[in-house]
Amino acid sequence: MLTAAAILCTASARAQVMVIVNPGVSVNSISKSELRNVFTGESFKLKDGSHVKPVLLKEGPTHSEFLSSDLSMSAVGLLVCWRQQVFSGQAAMPQTFSSEAEEVAYIAKTPGAIGYIGPSTPHESVKVLEVK
Amino acid sequence: MRNPLLSVLVLTGASLAVAQSADELNKLQFHGFAAQALVATSHNNYLGMDTRNLSAGWTEAALNVNDEVSDKLRVGLQLHYMRLGMFGGDTVSVDWAMGDYKFNPELGIRAGRVKIRWGLYNDTQDYDPGYMWSLLPEPVYAVDWRATNLAQNGAELYGKLEMGERNVLQYSLYYGAYSFASNDGYMESYKEEGVDFASPPGGKTPGFDLRWATPVQGLTLGGSLMVYTASGNLVNGTFAQPSSYWPAYYAQYNYKKVFASGQYARDIEYDVTTLTGQAPQVDPLDQRAWFIMGGYHLTPKLEAGAYYAHYLDAQGGDNSDPANYYRDWVASGRYDFSADFYLKMEAHFMDGNGVGFYDADNPNGLAQRSNALVAKLGFTF
Repeated sequence: MLTAAAILCTASARAQVMVIVNPGVSVNSISKSELRNVFTGESFKLKDGSHVKPVLLKEGPTHSEFLSSDLSMSAVGLLVCWRQQVFSGQAAMPQTFSSEAEEVAYIAKTPGAIGYIGPSTPHESVKVLEVK
Repeated sequence: MRNPLLSVLVLTGASLAVAQSADELNKLQFHGFAAQALVATSHNNYLGMDTRNLSAGWTEAALNVNDEVSDKLRVGLQLHYMRLGMFGGDTVSVDWAMGDYKFNPELGIRAGRVKIRWGLYNDTQDYDPGYMWSLLPEPVYAVDWRATNLAQNGAELYGKLEMGERNVLQYSLYYGAYSFASNDGYMESYKEEGVDFASPPGGKTPGFDLRWATPVQGLTLGGSLMVYTASGNLVNGTFAQPSSYWPAYYAQYNYKKVFASGQYARDIEYDVTTLTGQAPQVDPLDQRAWFIMGGYHLTPKLEAGAYYAHYLDAQGGDNSDPANYYRDWVASGRYDFSADFYLKMEAHFMDGNGVGFYDADNPNGLAQRSNALVAKLGFTF
């Protein structure tokens, strides 16, 4: 029973955030370690060899849930990670959005873009990845 | 245009000038930070500041702009201001200014004034909000010497070779020119040894860094080597450093709430000073330093940790002379009020004065031991 409860809890938390990509990205699933690599700037290459470009939400429950469930990081920790790359001249900060609808619109028109939204946000124009 | 720094400044300026439409201006990214410290010590004055009387003499700020001209080309620059007691002065320096062209993830090139990747933290050590520590380990990342070693004018080849999902090899290979910073502790240390430069010496900085993000999530192993030269004029002679070697070996673990790292570095130099009318004098230097540190996120906003840093001047002759060693036990904490504002508190328990202390602000001599308290308030965006 405890195992069943744990599975239900995991499924419930997972359902709160969807990982979305531009429809041109060929993969249908992504692992948590790939997600962490992509969203911390460690690596932008997926297992099929394709390259993606992360976009972030500024704040909100979807952002918090994604950070804690999928990246195991705090909001400050993620910002520190990116800002170290920006201030050392290694990278620019990913595109950041205040609204999930704007994020979906950007991902739909930007090849390789990858982001995350809540389940209630309309997302017909993008592809949803299964997180394994 | 022969000066690479000037070339990139012109390129950056041209790029910004071309970015006339609202969309293009919206693509420009601006980021910055500012930090102010209060430092108090029990005995010796530290880092060129009057710390025995509680000093507010450490202020830092930086501002950068990035323009992603295309998917492959990025240009940008960063200005940096630092005042550290008698060092830094009220001047703003170009921290980096470069063009960055990435052919693919495996190969990119940066040219202009480029940060030097050496050891775990050389290229990020002047971004204060990036650390829990107020002071990084002084024997390896000396805050009073870093202006000399942060960046070079030249080019860097870089890339990531992905060998698996959690198996990435990252490299940096660089070559360029540098000069001693005119107003930091590096020049002052030479001056206190009787080597008085007419102008800051300079030289070449070939080197590389190789770091492996291992299959163990959060674990990175790496090594760096910089081979540098220097030459210049003294007030009463000449100065030369033939090829000097600065290797480093390091490991870092950073996953979930836990952070730990360690690094060993060695600096092997031969300073040749030739005073007017005298034979050249060769001074070999062999400085060895290491640190080990760890931290833990008690809450998403509160982090605490500790480190130990060790230094030995192996050519000093007497390892028990406090001038030839330095050991520092450190306890630190950081609280983030928000994603932009933070407060740091740090205690140091120092034995020996081989690094970080100067005769100029300790005219009555140095005690063997000194404790320090550092508080720092910072803002970043």
